[in-house]
Amino acid sequence: MSRAVITGVGVVSAFGVGAPAFFRALEEGRSAVGPIRSFDASAFPVRVAGEAPIETIRANWLANQAVELAGERNDLSRLFEGWERDGMLRDRKIGLGVLAALEAWAGAGLGATSADALSIIAVGLEAGFLDDLAAIYKSDNPARFDWQAERSAPLPRVRLRSPVNLPAECVHRALGLAGPLVVEVSACAAGALVIARAASLIERGAADVILAGATDSMVNPMAMGAFWKLGAPSPRPAPDACRPFDRRRDGLAIGEGSAMFVIEREERARARGARPLARVIGWGSTQDAHRATAPRPDGERARDAIAKAIRRAQIHPSQIEYINAHGTGTPLNDPAEVKAIRGALGEAAERVPVSSIKGAVGHLMAASGAIEIAACLLPLERGVIPGTAHHKERDPECDIDIVGESPRRSDVRVALSSSFGFGGQNAAVILERCG
Amino acid sequence: MQIRPARPIPVTAVGCASALGFSWKGFCRGINKREIQLVEPTELRGSSPRVLAAEVPPIPAEFDAGDARQHKLMSRAARLAAVAARQALRDAGISAPRDGVGFFLGVGASGGAMSDLLAVLGASMEGDGVSLAKLGDKGLSASNPVGTFHLLNNFTLCHSAIIEGVTGPNGAFFSRGGGTVFALMEALNAIDEGECDRALAGGADSALHPVTWAELVREGYLEPEQTRLGEGAAILALAKEAAEPIAFIEGCSLHSVSGSLADADKRAPHLSALSRLMAAEVGASSNVDLIALAPWGGPAREALRSFATDVCPEAKLIDTTAALGDSLAASPALAWAAAIDALAEGIAERALVLSAGIDGQVGSVILSSPTGAPLGGRS
Repeated sequence: MSRAVITGVGVVSAFGVGAPAFFRALEEGRSAVGPIRSFDASAFPVRVAGEAPIETIRANWLANQAVELAGERNDLSRLFEGWERDGMLRDRKIGLGVLAALEAWAGAGLGATSADALSIIAVGLEAGFLDDLAAIYKSDNPARFDWQAERSAPLPRVRLRSPVNLPAECVHRALGLAGPLVVEVSACAAGALVIARAASLIERGAADVILAGATDSMVNPMAMGAFWKLGAPSPRPAPDACRPFDRRRDGLAIGEGSAMFVIEREERARARGARPLARVIGWGSTQDAHRATAPRPDGERARDAIAKAIRRAQIHPSQIEYINAHGTGTPLNDPAEVKAIRGALGEAAERVPVSSIKGAVGHLMAASGAIEIAACLLPLERGVIPGTAHHKERDPECDIDIVGESPRRSDVRVALSSSFGFGGQNAAVILERCG
Repeated sequence: MQIRPARPIPVTAVGCASALGFSWKGFCRGINKREIQLVEPTELRGSSPRVLAAEVPPIPAEFDAGDARQHKLMSRAARLAAVAARQALRDAGISAPRDGVGFFLGVGASGGAMSDLLAVLGASMEGDGVSLAKLGDKGLSASNPVGTFHLLNNFTLCHSAIIEGVTGPNGAFFSRGGGTVFALMEALNAIDEGECDRALAGGADSALHPVTWAELVREGYLEPEQTRLGEGAAILALAKEAAEPIAFIEGCSLHSVSGSLADADKRAPHLSALSRLMAAEVGASSNVDLIALAPWGGPAREALRSFATDVCPEAKLIDTTAALGDSLAASPALAWAAAIDALAEGIAERALVLSAGIDGQVGSVILSSPTGAPLGGRS
C-alpha cells in the first residue's frame, strides 16, 4: 500500500499571509482575534473576529502577495484584475484560498507537469451581497424584488451572492489546473474531510497528486448575523471572546482564512526529491444524527470518528502524542469533545496533550479542520505544541491535559486533529512525522 | 479519476422524487414518453412569471419524512432528499438502528426563503441602500432564527441523516453535476475499503429558486427558451453484499473539461472525446445496450449524443435532463435511477450513464443488471 504524504502547505489566517507567519505566531503563543475592520460592525452584537489582516481584498494586493508566495507571474495580475471587475473579490474566501493554494503548490515544487491533478476543496456558505439585493428591492412593493432590473444590470458579473463553487474554481484557475474539481460543503468538518478523502484516494491508487484544502470567510454582515441568531458566537465583543475548554467559556469567535495542502504518493514525492512534511495515516468520519441545533452531548459519534481514524492508522491510542481539538469554546462542544477523546483513547486520554487554536485565530468554519491540520505540523516538524489562547480556568467537565496559553515543547511523532460540523458531521485525521 | 471496486457493488434500492412523482419504477418509460407536465413553479412566480419548469408535485404524506417541526428547518432540497432517503432505506430493508450506514450526497446552493430575506432587508433599508447600523439592530431582530438551517448547504444531507438515524461515513459535495458523481465514488470507495457495509449515495437539489435562477442567468448558463430547469432527488442504497440486488455498479469516473460551460460551444468537441475516454475507463466501450444522458444545455447534449451514436450505435438512448429538466446536483442521480429502472424492466443489461454539468465536470457510471454477467476489475 502506498502512503499519502503532505509535500506542500499554504496558510492564510488572522496572523497574516503565509504558513511561516502562522507557525511563528503559534510558536510565540499569540492571539489575533480582535475588532472587525472589514466592515462597520459597531451596531452588531458580534464585533470581534479572527480576521485576515486586510480590510478590502483588491487585485493589486493579491498580485503582490502572490509574487511573495509563488514568484513572478504576469498572468496572475490580469486574472485578479478581471476578478475584481467581476465583483468576485468581494467574497473574501476567494482571495484567501488562492494565496494559500499558490503557497502550497509552490512549496511542493509542483508546476505545470501536475496540472491534471485532482482538487478537493472545502468551502463555506455563499457570501451574500446585501447591497446588490438592496438595488433590486422595491420598497413600495415589498412582496417582491425587481428581477427584471437584476437581469439587465451591468457588471459586476457576480451579484447577489457568490456561487458556492467559485472560490474553488478560482483556485483552479490561478494554479492553471485542469483536473477534476470537487467542492466539499460538509460545514466545519469539511476541511478535515478533504484531507481524509485525498489520502484515501492516493492510498487506493486512484490519484497520484491532489490539491486538498479549504477556504472560508464568514466575516461579513449577513453571515455574522446568521451565526449570531444561532447563539454560537460569544456575546462578549472582546479579544478573548473564545476561551476553549475554559470554565468561563461562552461561545466561539468567528474567523476566516485558508489552509491548502499538496498531498501525494510517498514514492512519487521522494522520487522527485520533494520533502514530505508529514504522512496522513488515519482518518474517520461519522454523523451524529442527533439534532439540527446541537451536537450529541455524550460525544459518542465523535468518539467513533476518532476510533476509526486510530484503527485506520493501525496504531495504539497511546501512540498519539498530541490532539488538536475542535475546541470551539462553546458550552456544549467542549465537554462533549472531552468525552469523545476519553471514549476513543481510554487510559491514554489522561496523558495526551490537547489544545485548540480557535482562541487564537477564531473558528474558520469550513476551513477550520484544514488550518488545524496545518497546526499539527508545528509539533511534528518543530517539536512545539500550540497553546490554547485564553484558556485560563480549568473546567471540571474538561479534565484532560489541556495545554494552556503557552505553547509546550514536546517530541511529537503522531498527532490527531478532530473536527465536528454544524449538522452533526464528524471527522478525525491522524498525521505521522516523516523520517 | 476513476473508481472501480474490487467487485461490482450491488444496488439494493432507489429513492426518488422528481416531476414524475415519487417512484423510480416506470421512470425510464415516463422519461421516454415525456409524461412530465410543465408548470409555473411556485418559487419562481414572483421573479420569473410564465417560466415553465419540471416541478416536483406536492409531497403525499405517505412519502414524506420528518415532522412539522423538522420541516420548518428544511429547505426544498432537504425535503426532497429526505423523501428519497426514506424510500431508499425502507426498500433496501435497512431498518433502525442505522449505525455505520454511509451517506454521500451531491447538494446545491443555499435555499433560504425569499420571505426571510425580505424581512431582513425591509428592516435594514435606509434610502436606497442597506444601513449596517439598522441591519445590526432591527435587521437581525427581524431575521428568521432558523433560517440558517435552510442556508447551510450540508443540511440537505444532515436533515435526512438526523431523521433516519444514519451515522456512518459521510460527505456533502456542492454539485452542478460533478459533485454528485464524486458522492457516488466516495460511497463505492467507502464500501470497497471496508469503511462501511452499506451506504446511501445520490443528489438532491432545486434549480427553482429565484436567486439560483438569477445567478444562472447572470453567469450566462441559462437560456430560458432552451434550458428546462427542474428539481428532484435520487438516492441509491448500496451494499457490500446483497441477496437480491436490483443492479450493480461496476465503476465510475470523473473528468473536467477546461473552460467555462458558458462557452459550451467551445467545450462540446472536448466533451465528445472525453466521453470516449471515460467510457473506456469504466470498461463500457462495448457491451453497453443503454446510454442514459444527463447533459446541461444544447451543446453538451449534442456532444454526448454524438459520442453515443458513434461508439454504441446499437444502444438505446434516454435523455433524462431533456425530460425532467436540469436539477443541478440531482441530475446525474436521476439519470442513474432511470438506468436502473431500465435494467430492472429488462430493457437493458448494461448501461452507461454520462452526465455533463455546467461546472465542466463530466461523470460516467457503468451499471449492470443482476441477471447479466457484470464485469469487474479494480483500478
